Amino acid sequence: MYKTLKLILPVLFPSWRFFDVIAPSPRIEFTVLKTKNDTPYGWHEFRSRPIKLSFFEMLKRMFWNRQWNEDLFLVSCAEKIMSQPNDHSIHEIIKRIETQLRATQGEFFEGSYLQFRLVFLYREGTEIKSQITFISSPSKMEEGVINGI
Amino acid sequence: MGFDDALRLTEILLAFALIQHSIEHVFSAKNERYLFVVRIFLSVLMALGVWTGWVCAAFVILSLVILKRFQGPYNGGSDRMGLLVLWCVAFVHWMPTLQLKEYIFGYLAVQLLLSYFISGWVKIINSDWRNGRALQDVFQFSTYPASEQLRSIANHPWLLFCASWSVMIFELLFPLALITQATLIIGLTIAALFHFANACLFGLNRFFWIWLTAYPSLLWLHTRVFGM
Repeated sequence: MYKTLKLILPVLFPSWRFFDVIAPSPRIEFTVLKTKNDTPYGWHEFRSRPIKLSFFEMLKRMFWNRQWNEDLFLVSCAEKIMSQPNDHSIHEIIKRIETQLRATQGEFFEGSYLQFRLVFLYREGTEIKSQITFISSPSKMEEGVINGI
Repeated sequence: MGFDDALRLTEILLAFALIQHSIEHVFSAKNERYLFVVRIFLSVLMALGVWTGWVCAAFVILSLVILKRFQGPYNGGSDRMGLLVLWCVAFVHWMPTLQLKEYIFGYLAVQLLLSYFISGWVKIINSDWRNGRALQDVFQFSTYPASEQLRSIANHPWLLFCASWSVMIFELLFPLALITQATLIIGLTIAALFHFANACLFGLNRFFWIWLTAYPSLLWLHTRVFGM
């Protein structure tokens, strides 16, 4: 009951504090391991943004913006992991990286364990810095996710 | 705008916005997909105006399940507004008297006003927003710019300084749009263009569609209070 109220009250009495401060910004990076005990070698940014978008593509995204909205959801998961580590957010990130790897046939990756880390970018003075704030435990992927190339 | 017309228009816009959101989930994992297929079905019923009271009840239950599924709103602010509009429409249908219905619908209109005013207030009290630094940060390293090319806007501090003040002044002055119906329509048009720009630059398309759904409530409140 308390948990449900905690979810509903901010909806019925919103705070509307959009962009009041520009907080450190998370990036999700992942690696694929052959065994659970392998040392991670080479991290890959999960879904880097496109270099350029035409106005037509922006208009199209007004109606269909599935991947971007999912990315925003993952950003909120990353922020939740930092403020209050929880299995739900970790699982959501793992699951969506797995789905992406499955869709691309695990191109360039070989292994059966998935691990991700969170890198937060922030400004210190005039410099943009980055800090690794979280590394997940290796997670066994579902059969057939990565066949290896 | 009369109460019945405003409420009906809100329902139609809300149904469209929820269908647009839900279709994106239809290609997701099974346990997620079913929830949104049901939401599309309910949205169609709402758009047609069929059994609206019952549809609202089903919507409210479903919204709780979805909130629990994602441990909060899927897309932060836009989903919060969507749920607020949905719950207000539901409560309007369940209230026994017209006066109570009007209070609920008026609450939605006031929240719409506050969504702009408070956003402007929390920015203007922050020195990073006043000197344009915050918007520079948004373009330079935040996750929001929709393409890498847009990050180069961070190299134009004067442009961002002007943009920051334009946004803050617009948001803070938005309540003054209530002076006349003409100014309100102009204010809402600028607000919609603001959301459209955010959708293009930062991919926040859901904000655009869902904020539109609350506009009829403010048009109605203006007529109700000022009688024009």
